[in-house]
Amino acid sequence: MENVIEVKNLHKQYNDFELKDISFTIPEGSIVGLIGENGAGKTTTIKSILNIIHAEGEVNIFGKDHKTYEKEIKKDIGVVIDDSFLSEYLNAKNINRIMKDFYEDWNEEKYFEYLKAFGLPTNKMVKDFSSGMKMKLKIATAISHNPKLLILDEPTSGLDPVVRNEILDIFRKFIEEDEKRAILISTHITTDLEHISDYIIFINKGNLVFKMPTQDLLEEYGIVKCSENDFHRIQKEDYIAYKKEKYQYEVLTENKEKFKNKYSITTIDKPTIEDIMLFYIKGGK
Amino acid sequence: MKTIKGLIKKDIFNLASYKMSLLILLICMCVMGMASSSMVNYIPIIAITMVGMIALSTFSYDDISKSNTYILSLPTNKKEIVLSKYIFIIAMIIIGGILGVIITPIVIQIMNAIHPEEIIAVDFHAIFITTLGGMFGISLVEAIQIPSIYKWGAEKGRIQMFILIFALILLIVGIGYLVTKIGIGINMEMIQNFLDKFGIPILIISIIMMHYISYKVSYKIYCKKEG
Repeated sequence: MENVIEVKNLHKQYNDFELKDISFTIPEGSIVGLIGENGAGKTTTIKSILNIIHAEGEVNIFGKDHKTYEKEIKKDIGVVIDDSFLSEYLNAKNINRIMKDFYEDWNEEKYFEYLKAFGLPTNKMVKDFSSGMKMKLKIATAISHNPKLLILDEPTSGLDPVVRNEILDIFRKFIEEDEKRAILISTHITTDLEHISDYIIFINKGNLVFKMPTQDLLEEYGIVKCSENDFHRIQKEDYIAYKKEKYQYEVLTENKEKFKNKYSITTIDKPTIEDIMLFYIKGGK
Repeated sequence: MKTIKGLIKKDIFNLASYKMSLLILLICMCVMGMASSSMVNYIPIIAITMVGMIALSTFSYDDISKSNTYILSLPTNKKEIVLSKYIFIIAMIIIGGILGVIITPIVIQIMNAIHPEEIIAVDFHAIFITTLGGMFGISLVEAIQIPSIYKWGAEKGRIQMFILIFALILLIVGIGYLVTKIGIGINMEMIQNFLDKFGIPILIISIIMMHYISYKVSYKIYCKKEG
């Protein structure tokens, strides 16, 4: 399996924030979720990959350097950015006429099919769309030139569960249509990723915390619920972080089976991605 | 080149929402021109200024939609983005000029029909010179304003532009004051002859040069800017 994106030592320094030597790969056929709280560095990572901001480090997309082959690479990428689009003062027909000039492979028929399927009007200005409609239009625009890679920055933020589900279905179908495609989704709504992602990349305060298969993360990690006495028996190297609740301690472990065997504690819950993220961010050690 | 076409289309479609306002402006312009026989001569200047300013408003559309980040994710580059803006704005200035040249004789004919006792002759040479002068003026303003917008954004850029223009006027007035103070003799007749002979080519070359330098500066600023 080849990598669609290879990021090596990506570094970006701002006055008040630093993205610290992030490295990861995104294999073809996969949906990868980029998670982290607001301001963790998700958008900086995405913008650096797209060369929208200048960062140090090495980024290869489709095996090519993202700066040297920028224009060529971007022909095969579809992008959705939460708070940025062509213009609020255009309608879907205008967007079609503009996009034709950007992408040689722009598929007008497919674009209007998506609009119809998403129930989007073609003559209404984008500014008059609801948040869900705007997002669907951005997605239709991003996938109508048959891209090999989708990069999505917060595509489901501010949307109701029904629309979110519809959007996740679109991504699922997009990957199913061609197994060589890949999707990188940055989001802080982690429940969405539990259903569709193959890997999770977690960034916290500009640091890469982990990159793991979603299934392993959900199956192997565990939240141990124990008394204060039990908690003090646990060695620090056997847990990632803990939280002191009103009547008990909650401990996040990355290997619940090993933990069960070592400490004979049986109350271990399956965590959600959000639980794991919260333990890393808010938990103590 | 195709992506430049796409970028220009975006600006044109953005301005399409201005259709009614443009029509009202056009009518206002004609009415203003009819105010007096001397005002007629300024129609090309009014037309160029209005159309030129409307063209600049596309920067505000980009700011409102935060479209620069999105556009940078498309298969284009900063050079094409800046170039497309200049092509669009120069084209708009030319359209403004053509509009002025077409409207002025029409307004004169209407005025002559209303006031047959006060016939105004259509002087195409004067209309052409006024148009070129108007194009020079708006080109100068925009050549300063566009880099300002790239540097500070559409809103702040406008304020910075007024400061820059004010500084420019101060400089010209200052030089004029110094020339008179020192007592350098200026042969006005010689200047007039020179302008009659070379005025038009100088204006055209100046317009081209101003936009070229402005484009280079804007591109340099935009390259340093992060989306």
